[in-house]
Amino acid sequence: MSDLFSFEQSWQKEVDRQLQARGERKGTFQTSSNIEVERLYTPEAMEEDYMKKIGYPGEYPFTRGIRHTMYRGRLWTMRQYAGFGSAKETNERFRYLLEQGQTGLSVAFDLPTQIGYDSDDPMALGEVGKVGVAIDSLEDMEVLFHEIPLDRVSTSMTINAPAAVLLAMYLVVAEKQGVPWEKVSGTIQNDILKEYIARGTHIYPPKPSMRLITDIFSFCSDHVPSFNTISISGYHIREAGATAVQELAFTLANAKAYVDAAIDVGLDVDRFAPRLAFFFNGHNYFFEEIAKFRAARRMWAKMMREEYGAKNPKSWQLRFHTQVAGSTLTAQQPDNNIVRVALQALAAVMGGTQSLHTNAKDEALGLPTEESARIALRTQQLIAHETGVADTIDPLAGSYYLETLTDQVEEKAHEYLAEIDSLGGAVAAVENGYMQREIQKSAYETQRNIESEEEIVVGVNKFAMEEEPEQDVLKVDDSFIAEQHEQLEHLRKNRSQNDVDHCLQALKEAANGHENLMPPIIEAVKKGCTVGEICHVLRSEFGEYV
Amino acid sequence: MTIRILMAKPGLDGHDRGALVVSQALRDHGMEVIYTGLRQSPEQIVQAAIQEDVDAIGLSSLSGAHNILFPEVLNQLKEKNAEDIFVFGGGVIPFDDVRNLEELGIKKVFTPGSSTEAIAAFIEQTVREREAFEPILSAPKCVDHIGIAVSSIDEAIPFYRDHLHLDVETVVDVPEQGVKVAFISLSNAKIELLEPLTKESPVQSFIDKKGEGLHHIALAVNRLSDRLTQLKREGVPLVDETPKQGASGVPIAFLHPKAANGTLVELCENEGVEIDG
Repeated sequence: MSDLFSFEQSWQKEVDRQLQARGERKGTFQTSSNIEVERLYTPEAMEEDYMKKIGYPGEYPFTRGIRHTMYRGRLWTMRQYAGFGSAKETNERFRYLLEQGQTGLSVAFDLPTQIGYDSDDPMALGEVGKVGVAIDSLEDMEVLFHEIPLDRVSTSMTINAPAAVLLAMYLVVAEKQGVPWEKVSGTIQNDILKEYIARGTHIYPPKPSMRLITDIFSFCSDHVPSFNTISISGYHIREAGATAVQELAFTLANAKAYVDAAIDVGLDVDRFAPRLAFFFNGHNYFFEEIAKFRAARRMWAKMMREEYGAKNPKSWQLRFHTQVAGSTLTAQQPDNNIVRVALQALAAVMGGTQSLHTNAKDEALGLPTEESARIALRTQQLIAHETGVADTIDPLAGSYYLETLTDQVEEKAHEYLAEIDSLGGAVAAVENGYMQREIQKSAYETQRNIESEEEIVVGVNKFAMEEEPEQDVLKVDDSFIAEQHEQLEHLRKNRSQNDVDHCLQALKEAANGHENLMPPIIEAVKKGCTVGEICHVLRSEFGEYV
Repeated sequence: MTIRILMAKPGLDGHDRGALVVSQALRDHGMEVIYTGLRQSPEQIVQAAIQEDVDAIGLSSLSGAHNILFPEVLNQLKEKNAEDIFVFGGGVIPFDDVRNLEELGIKKVFTPGSSTEAIAAFIEQTVREREAFEPILSAPKCVDHIGIAVSSIDEAIPFYRDHLHLDVETVVDVPEQGVKVAFISLSNAKIELLEPLTKESPVQSFIDKKGEGLHHIALAVNRLSDRLTQLKREGVPLVDETPKQGASGVPIAFLHPKAANGTLVELCENEGVEIDG
């Protein structure tokens, strides 16, 4: 090492000499989380304890990945989030994506569905079928998965407050297709805490919301063992403006709250923890993103084994989906977004993601067209099949820089976790607005940095063009809304009102008691109760959170 | 006066990063900003805007519901007679929709990548323009002149000159309007005698229909051109939509008599009129 020391000294001397002649591009270089980036990282940066901190893939603490062979065995799941308009249109897009080589589905629901209103509710004005597909009843769900075999395709559903209702519908559709629940696989987002923090589709107050979540944990571990019961999401926290460290820390804080809640209702940690999944953002600052994913795995493994005493190695493994950062897409020069997406996706792959959504270039302008959606998928396929980055596991491990950054991200995230613990945990921190405020501060700082050109956005505050070429965007034909209203009317006329009243009454009683809410919800769905009706019952029992 | 803004999230969309960042930036520009929070109906938004007495409403939507919800806010403002509050918006909004919304009366739509500096500057400028506009609405301060239709100026003058002892200031021909005009000055207004120059003169047809006598009353105003735009927007029937040259050399315009119970009202640009700021 003494050799190294003398080399470093002479290098430093030369650097100092050159700096006197000419400074560097910036006074300091920083990551998104304000971690200062050094000029150079050398073997000195490496900690001795390889086994304890980095180890082997598929082994504790999983820094290098949760599978023993990672992408050499099987590539990540290419899962493009899609959905708009009617169930029929979305079913067509799904089948198109599957034909194009996509390997899993990801359903985007419209906002009325996500907030528990039927399409003909006055609150749904203007929102039906906009950010996703409109689902009112089991009938719509059957159309959505028409000719899609639920034993072979895994489905991720971005649904939170009404997650139990949509899960119930999915299970009944599977049943009707003759697929046993044990064979059904997929994910519901079901992460209510980040809704209060960043995404805004909550319905009920935190306490009953947490109960719905633990009811789902418990029901699925008995009946739908391969289903991911929650996807604890940093994605939206990051989109709302958080830094990489905040994204990681707040997500893990929320995860702890769910684990605590489940343990509180008497569930054994090893019974539900293996079905917890995560969802992160793939953002711009390349190395910090990779460090974030690796730190996340290591932190979760330690937390589950050491803090919660989980015994099952599957409880220690942080499995995650990544979507690249929608908020980094620009309306200006939209073709540049293809490149942004590719680099962000590459970071996610270098970070060992289990599944990936790549954004379409036109999403700052509107919904993706079929063409832009295809390019987005092709971007992943290119990374998988042409670059060779998937041929060895965790290829950047051992980089002096990356390992240092992984440690720093972990350390800074721990500081936030300690702060949230001192506030009484994530639920209390959400209620007092702590995380919301921290995110808001970061979001504002980012905006100011962009406006002062300290942070460059290519094509926006630098390399801008005078004339913006017009872009085609997908136009959703609103004529289906009338049809959707008619279908609802038809449904309400043709189902047995007696059955409906009975089911909703049973649900109401269950909500007031302590029994698991999944069975009465499944029963209500089968009898033709709508998303709006079921959520209305729970609204009136649980109250609304504003 | 501090500019007051209501920042609002119409509909069910929960993405409020943009709304929050813009709110904070406007506060840093010295404005008072009230943020409604999520899931507001257009009705609630307009109610809050009126209650809070704001200058403008900022609408943010990233869910695609803008084409329905933004115009609905404009409707509600109209219904509540609160159209002096202007509306701007932002979010993920396709170019075509931006154009449509701006045509419908949204003052400006800011798409992703807009700087908060630009948004603040836009608001400040719009408020300034609106304030500069407000004195136009203030009442005219005085009568500039009263027009009287006569068959012959020469025959009309002796009454004013010999019996009232007034001076006849000028007698001019205004062939564009087909009249000969005499001005008689009083201390605070003038009397304008109008004699038709030709058979086609509007004054001739006035005399034919109603006989000689009181023809019009002219009020002195400032910023005539802007005022005409304003009156037109308010639905006041106009004879002249843009100012024309009057007999005394200043811009003038006539309103339609049905605007004032059959009285022909002339507006007359008079720079001497004090502007009530």
